[in-house]
Amino acid sequence: MSFGFPWGLLALGALAPLVAAYFLRRRQKPVVVSALFLWRTPRPRAEAGPRFERFTREASLLLEALAVVAVALFLADVRLGETARTRHLVLVVDGSLSMSARGPDGVTVLEKARQEAARRVEEVDATLVTVLASGLAPRVLAGPEAEPSRALAALESFHAQGSDHDPMPTLIWAQELAGAARRVVFLTDVAPENAALVPESVRWMALGTGRDNVALVSAQRRDEGNTATVTLRVARFGAGPQEVEARVRAQPGPGAKQGTERVERVRLPDEGTATVRLTFQGAGEVEVSLPDDALPEDGRVRLPPAPLRPVAVGIAEGLAAPERQAVERFLAVAPEVEKGASTGETLLIGPRGTDARVTVGAAGTLRTFLGPFFSEKGHPLLDDVQLAGVRWTAGDNPPGRPLVTAGEAVLVSEEEGGRVHLNVDLTRSNVQRVTAWPVLLGNVVREARRTREGFPRRQLTLGEPLPVVTVPGARYTLVGPEGRRPVFGAGAVDLPPPSGPGRYVLERDGDEVDTAEVLALDARESDLRGRGAVDVAAREAGDDEEHGAPGRARWPLVLLLAALVADFYVTRRV
Amino acid sequence: MDEAAVARLVPGLALALPRVPHRGRVGEVRATSAGSSLELHDFRAYQPGDDLRQVDWNAVARTGDLILRIRQDEVSPRVEVVLDGSRSMALSPRKAACAREVALLAAEVAARQGLSPTLMVAGARPERAQGNACRAALQVAEFDARDDLSASLGRLPPLRPCGLRVVVSDFLFEADLPALCSRLSRGASGLFLAQVLDAEDLDPSGGEGARLVDAESGAALEELLTEDVLAAYSRRFAEHQRGLRAAAMRARGTLVTAPASESLAALVAGPLRPLFLAGGGA
Repeated sequence: MSFGFPWGLLALGALAPLVAAYFLRRRQKPVVVSALFLWRTPRPRAEAGPRFERFTREASLLLEALAVVAVALFLADVRLGETARTRHLVLVVDGSLSMSARGPDGVTVLEKARQEAARRVEEVDATLVTVLASGLAPRVLAGPEAEPSRALAALESFHAQGSDHDPMPTLIWAQELAGAARRVVFLTDVAPENAALVPESVRWMALGTGRDNVALVSAQRRDEGNTATVTLRVARFGAGPQEVEARVRAQPGPGAKQGTERVERVRLPDEGTATVRLTFQGAGEVEVSLPDDALPEDGRVRLPPAPLRPVAVGIAEGLAAPERQAVERFLAVAPEVEKGASTGETLLIGPRGTDARVTVGAAGTLRTFLGPFFSEKGHPLLDDVQLAGVRWTAGDNPPGRPLVTAGEAVLVSEEEGGRVHLNVDLTRSNVQRVTAWPVLLGNVVREARRTREGFPRRQLTLGEPLPVVTVPGARYTLVGPEGRRPVFGAGAVDLPPPSGPGRYVLERDGDEVDTAEVLALDARESDLRGRGAVDVAAREAGDDEEHGAPGRARWPLVLLLAALVADFYVTRRV
Repeated sequence: MDEAAVARLVPGLALALPRVPHRGRVGEVRATSAGSSLELHDFRAYQPGDDLRQVDWNAVARTGDLILRIRQDEVSPRVEVVLDGSRSMALSPRKAACAREVALLAAEVAARQGLSPTLMVAGARPERAQGNACRAALQVAEFDARDDLSASLGRLPPLRPCGLRVVVSDFLFEADLPALCSRLSRGASGLFLAQVLDAEDLDPSGGEGARLVDAESGAALEELLTEDVLAAYSRRFAEHQRGLRAAAMRARGTLVTAPASESLAALVAGPLRPLFLAGGGA
């Protein structure tokens, strides 16, 4: 037995007043008469006798209770045997942030999607419902094959805050989950770019409305010493206001007595973005908000303090004077670098032949090259390294994978463990005098920074993968708004993009290591101009849709009628 | 039971005895049997063993045959008062009291009239009393029978031949009324069915009752006492009364209906006048 509409069982509540009325009537004082036979119609057949009469009330109660049960079963759409066949409906809800946009009536697209989902469930008369949320990683909100009421309840508590994504993988998955019935409804806010690419059993229902919107498209914060620098980029999508007020409120930091609030008037260009940079002294958490519009969520961010973590760089003993001077000249101007630190994470620069992370120097037969230089294309250490006009004197080839070569000479190489060898004799080269030198060392420092434990980036926007660096031998856990999840792998790991904004904490063996903030910002989601309403029917109908869904079972009505007739017979008048 | 009212009424009343010969102990009323009274009843031929004092010698002289004079006895006829002891008789205190008063009045008037009253209470435990014991028996009589009169008669001692039988009941039960009346009149020279009815029997007030319970059997009936239902009751009651009256007439009996709501004096002057004659003479 199953129920198509379990709420109908609430009709069983009518049993309570029925039974109460029965007992109230029982307590009613009976009227004693001399001759009962004068009160009732003579019956042609023999009477059942007093025993039957005594149980008239009880029989009436039972019959009336049976009638109530029959009504409840009918309302609950009871199904037995063949009629208990399940009808499975898969609902896919767009989980992107634009679903939270308000229409002209103030109702969010997600709320319309909820209402439409309830209508679909009612129309299809679904007995089982699966609800998926599309996103970079599809999620199951209810089911698979949950009760309709539970599925709709799960949808009620869902918040669409994901990034822009391609819904096709989710729709294909939904089609597989739907099985033979092949009833899939995708609830979104935009028409399909190419309807032919939509899986054939998917009904695409767009419920959005084209709106103008002003949004933050990025927000960054840097904390150097006691100074926090907040950089905002504000964009206007559509014919919005020419100017908006950005309200920035800085909570007091650990040493500050009171916070700061500023209101910045931002002129918005017709195309492109406007950038605002603000600095605060002793600021704690910074809240930025734009005036409410069609999508208020993309106009608010919270930026927690993100103190700089300078890379500790040490110079090993034995480095020749020219190399030492060249390195120290770079370190003197390099940002976020702490020279001379000697912690375990120090980026050690030393002479060739040592176990320093970066070795500088040449040994063996020296050869000077003017070009051509061949670089490993796309290697991060060589980003923007231009060797044109460089005179490079190198010795014997260092170990490791060649990154820059000249003829058969290896000028720069990298070992498996990340050790970098600069095969250069700076007394005969001019590398240290061209821009390639600071750029190359800057890349080395950047890579060192990237391999530090924690989050390389503290503020991310929606849809960005979450990079994290872990140290081998430790157990890491990522704690976010969706709960805890272990982090597997050592070194630089790119975790999948978080499905929602919020604060993410990296824990090592239960201790907090680092935090990152995922901001509810996504320029593609903030652009609401192309949203609209459209209903694209599925190109292929499900199996039982061809035969038509069976209606409600009629036998409870027959039972109801029989119970009422019997009750009338039992309690009929004289 | 208002015994004082009964006592006030007894001196001025007499039971309406039938005009046919009676049986009974020696008394003042002509009997059906031959006896020694002065009133000639018949003549017949002498048979051996007859009392020679009754030989009509004049007839012997005229005819030469031994002719015997048969004279009627003068007896004191028995009066049987049968009181229905079913629970419906106690539907209301007034109905029970009225039934007791009618029975007591019949017994007392009979005794004063020189008759031999016998009271039989057809309750759950049948009672029988004679003469002066009737009053005490009525005082303790219980209306506790869970069946009707036609059934409870089976528990009574056999009804004996009597001059007058007065049956006090409400006669509100389903039974073969002709058969019942015939049984009640058997052996009795006269039969009175004194029907005592409560005001609710005659004219139900209705109210909001929804559960009617039979006073005797306890059987229940779900019924809202609407105007239509009350009208239907009145029709069936009138039909029942017609049937009862016809059955009583066929058994040479008389049905008198006494509404319990009226006082005993009013009943005697009204509905019970056929049973209780004014004047106090026998």
